[in-house]
Amino acid sequence: MDQTLIFKPRPSSGWLWVGGLGVLMLALGITPTLGGISLSETWFPLVISGGLGLFFIALAAWFPTLRYELDDEALTLRYGPILHYRIPLQEIKEMRRRNLQITLWSSMRMPGLALFTVPYADAGNVKMCASACATRILLIDTEHGPYGITPADEETFVAAVKERMER
Amino acid sequence: MPGIYVMAVITIAASALLWGGILMGMSGQGKRYLWLMIPAMPLSALVNLLVKAPLAFGGGWLFKIPPNTGSDPPAFMVFLFLLAPVCEEAIKLLPFVGHRVRAYLDHPVNALWAGMALGIGFGLGEAAYLAWGIAQSPEYSSLPWYLFTGYAGERMMVCLAHGAMTAVAAGGLQRGGWHGLQGYLTSVTLHALLNVGAALYQFGVISVVAAQLPTLAAIIGLVLLFERRLHAAMGKPGAPDTGEEVIYFQRESKPSHQQPPDDV
Repeated sequence: MDQTLIFKPRPSSGWLWVGGLGVLMLALGITPTLGGISLSETWFPLVISGGLGLFFIALAAWFPTLRYELDDEALTLRYGPILHYRIPLQEIKEMRRRNLQITLWSSMRMPGLALFTVPYADAGNVKMCASACATRILLIDTEHGPYGITPADEETFVAAVKERMER
Repeated sequence: MPGIYVMAVITIAASALLWGGILMGMSGQGKRYLWLMIPAMPLSALVNLLVKAPLAFGGGWLFKIPPNTGSDPPAFMVFLFLLAPVCEEAIKLLPFVGHRVRAYLDHPVNALWAGMALGIGFGLGEAAYLAWGIAQSPEYSSLPWYLFTGYAGERMMVCLAHGAMTAVAAGGLQRGGWHGLQGYLTSVTLHALLNVGAALYQFGVISVVAAQLPTLAAIIGLVLLFERRLHAAMGKPGAPDTGEEVIYFQRESKPSHQQPPDDV
């Protein structure tokens, strides 16, 4: 019988960073308008900063949905409705925990949160769905590239994945 | 209080948090390099008031230029253009004279990160010094703080640029000998390229929007150069350790192709 196991990530303050950044961008976008400058002069920064601000606030709100689902066929990484990586168990080549070296290139990562493809100096491009951006990342190397995750109970998670792979 | 001071506080706090956080995260060494931002903070005011201003005044006297004529000879304009890169890139390396800071020149990786921290600290101090300069202008001192978002964005990016330029120079210092001079001259050249847009705008050659493009291109080039140098430095023996690695599982590699069957 196919029983799906759900693993939660390590706790982190990632939601606070992404939410704070969202509030800051929203504030920077609307402040000139609130200060009395006409909308015709401020609509562009309002749309850009306001839009990005709302997106980051939504990301913070989705933080509790970050989870790893393990069934008989695959491991699925989820973050709200915007991120969904499915890794067939037979494609997993290696699992190891290590610290990663972040780069200056822009990506969706900040203290306590890393999502989507993130370039690392020492590991190349890694598809991340993790509550940390560089420290103690569980790297899952597959035939289609590496994934980075941070399960709270790492050893139980690894044992469960190995057990399902051997079935 | 002039509005620029409010925006300066926001900018300096946000830049320190952003670049300080990235310094900690990227280096993988926690707060090891963070304190180096502090000795570099007063250097911008020092170099502007005690070095650049007297040199510009002296240069004007040498070129026999009456003040505020607006018709400076090209040679003097070149002198003024090079004044900031030459003086600022030198003063940013001044903390390496001290024993505790010089200890970071023991490995290329440490030198690059120490240079980055010193440059970011210099950039934070420069943001404060520029805010003081803007507040002295009657034209700008009465404007509300939220009109200085251009200042905020530019200063945040310039902090990173100062960090990358000083890292390049510090990398040269670490190698010693002629490499020190080579690193310094490279950082001076990069700094001059960074200022090209602003100079062309001041001469009325390009618009304020077009003036941002060379700066943006120079910052991207700087980041590329820094990443390359860091990557090369990390491959050298004795690089700071970023932590242990635990291998949980490794699938045995299968042969890439099977042996052909024997002929029958």
